[in-house]
Amino acid sequence: MTRRTVLGFLVPALVVLHFLFHVGFSIQGWAPDLLVLALLLAAREVGMGAGGALGFTFGLLEDAFSWLAFGASALSMTLIGVLGSRTRELFVGDSPLFFFAYLTLGKFLKDLIYWLVAASSVKGPFLETVVLHGGLGALYVALVGLGLVSLFGGFRSLS
Amino acid sequence: MVVGLILLSIVVLYLPAGTQARLAEGLQSTVLRPFTLVQEAVAQARLRAESALELQARLDSLGAVVATQATLAEENRHLRELLDLEDRIPETFVHANLFRPGTTGSESMFLLDVGTDEGVQVGDPVLMRSGRVGLLGMIREVSREFSIGLDWSHPEFAATAMTSDESVFGLVEPRSGDFRGGDRLLLTAIPYFERLQPGTLIVTSGLGGVFPRGIPIGEVMELHQDEGQWQSEYWLTPVVLPGSVTHVLVAKSDSSLVRLFEMLEGEAADSSVSGSEGGGGP
Repeated sequence: MTRRTVLGFLVPALVVLHFLFHVGFSIQGWAPDLLVLALLLAAREVGMGAGGALGFTFGLLEDAFSWLAFGASALSMTLIGVLGSRTRELFVGDSPLFFFAYLTLGKFLKDLIYWLVAASSVKGPFLETVVLHGGLGALYVALVGLGLVSLFGGFRSLS
Repeated sequence: MVVGLILLSIVVLYLPAGTQARLAEGLQSTVLRPFTLVQEAVAQARLRAESALELQARLDSLGAVVATQATLAEENRHLRELLDLEDRIPETFVHANLFRPGTTGSESMFLLDVGTDEGVQVGDPVLMRSGRVGLLGMIREVSREFSIGLDWSHPEFAATAMTSDESVFGLVEPRSGDFRGGDRLLLTAIPYFERLQPGTLIVTSGLGGVFPRGIPIGEVMELHQDEGQWQSEYWLTPVVLPGSVTHVLVAKSDSSLVRLFEMLEGEAADSSVSGSEGGGGP
């Protein structure tokens, strides 16, 4: 299976699973942010425009249930999609370590941008929301990402 | 294209609230509808799995209320006939299942599986009964089949309030805790010379017309601080903890609500479920 074929299956599946866990089963803290994971995986394979468009679409879907900060996910994920695509030109990484760092930083940056653009009346304390929850969430996403990539044939064929 | 997308997402962020709501509703009722349907199915399954003993206890409790009110209802009907008054609106409460999306930014908000088809309107109070009936929040948006509400931990929530004996009036607002789930209610604007005892029941006052009068909100826990020399603030123990709620009652706008709150509160006090002062009203 080619890398694109795997991602063509994996990315939509992650999007569906994300909303199934978070909306369908109302799992909040325990379910990883599979939407960001899907975006970060896809962004490495497409150009900046397509990465941004994918991020905007994913973010808008997330915002459909975000009454407190509508648009914050769309903006943060658009930026992450663009930056993720840019990393392809800057870093040629196919090692587990690079992949882990890429996913961790990507998710952490998404949470940081979200926190920055969300209205001050609705966002939690920086240390708790970004450093603690954001940091743990980023590690969680990176671990899940590593597991999935290993499952679908390893780093050389996918990332 | 990249710059255009970033500008577009900034525009979305600063769209008027009404436009954002319509956009969100469009996505919820189309692309994301399968996931909300799954959520409804899960909630229904959870409801069916509830303890039969607990449901039986609630049924017995309601049966006792109906039995004790039967004479009063008959007397009321007779008096209404004598005075040639129209019948009361038969349905005052709408039962609903509550869902919480686990997505980022949806904290303090909830979905209900009832909408305009069931007579739900924007601004209707949302109540929960677990031992005693209490205020959870209010309806913010309504479509035909479902509605969106905000609970008392939402930053925009505020309710004019009073002690259950109607002697002291103030305003109840949420305050963020040190962590998510640690949000608390604060009773503000209490005159300095009025001292409230711990355990005093605080109910909605009905001033301002947002919430009907008499809905229990919380009990006084402790003095928070004095606002300068003239006013005091008190922390409240909420009657309803938002995180634990799965089934709610939406109260339709109706003057008979006050009587129903008194009835339900009186029953709760009689059964000593809450173990605190009853607040049953006159």
